[in-house]
Amino acid sequence: MTETYIPSVYVPPTGAVVPKLDRKTLKVGDLIPTLTRPGDYQLWNRYAAVNHEFAGHHMDDSVGHHEGFEAAIGMGPFIHALLHTLLREWVGEDVGRVAKVGMQSRRPWIRGRTLTEGGKVTAIREEGGELIVSLELWGDNDKGERLVIGEGEVALPA
Amino acid sequence: MTVETLISPEMAAAVGREYEWATSYPIDPVSIRNWSVAMYYPEKPPRLYWDEDYARTTRWGGLVAPEEFNPFAWMRADPPGNMGPEASRPWPELNLGIPCPDFKANIFAGLVVTHTGVRMRPGDVIKSAVNLAGYHEKQGRLGLMLFTTREDRWTNQKGELVRVSRSDLIRYL
Repeated sequence: MTETYIPSVYVPPTGAVVPKLDRKTLKVGDLIPTLTRPGDYQLWNRYAAVNHEFAGHHMDDSVGHHEGFEAAIGMGPFIHALLHTLLREWVGEDVGRVAKVGMQSRRPWIRGRTLTEGGKVTAIREEGGELIVSLELWGDNDKGERLVIGEGEVALPA
Repeated sequence: MTVETLISPEMAAAVGREYEWATSYPIDPVSIRNWSVAMYYPEKPPRLYWDEDYARTTRWGGLVAPEEFNPFAWMRADPPGNMGPEASRPWPELNLGIPCPDFKANIFAGLVVTHTGVRMRPGDVIKSAVNLAGYHEKQGRLGLMLFTTREDRWTNQKGELVRVSRSDLIRYL
């Protein structure tokens, strides 16, 4: 039986401080702060508006049902784009940059489910005048199911 | 009947060929601002993406777009009147003018984007050139699956490489 969908209610975070990458203490195995987003039309429609993503299964629960899902599903490119936001929040967009983001889909992001993305440092190297930090990335829903796996790199001036 | 391969000689010979090109309109700061709001909602996006005075004080020297920004959403400058995703096909054979099997399904499998460090800025015009990077096959629960890799290279008006993306599409009969 599918669970009843309950629209989420937003309580925008206030004064939350996201810890930034600290190159003095950075080491392989470090976990970076997670990024959480509700699976909701409030977010999906904003992304649809800027990226022209209007497939029916992103906009309408009945289309999602028709395709075999519990409800509408979130856009894969949005999950990929949010991995960039996850990395920027950690590296600091004024200081570093996102150099690479790879992602493979495992399960759909069902409307009403919360997405939490995270990452772990896997390697650190210098290349071309930059400090390159490699990470393993993932995105899970609030049932603990893995929706995406991937890898990323951020770059800072060496 | 067992299908031994989904890759015809014509398809194999087409690997490496470019088959789709596009040019963006000049990037507008409004588009960057809107994109950043969508990426950070319900939080406020960083000032780097909407406050020109602030952005000038950073290492970037002015407004830049978030790395994942898509200047080809909605209409493109070239081909003229092209409405973007609805006008393009993720599978390459149609554009290459070669036959391919009549596949039942097309599924997004994965995407790897490499950003070179050349940032997209207001006024930039981005060109996209897509090539067929390769095919490979794998047996799956639904039979033989064809993986098609497309590579999309973006350059700016100075000819600088901005990003390279490789995406995989799964198709089966």
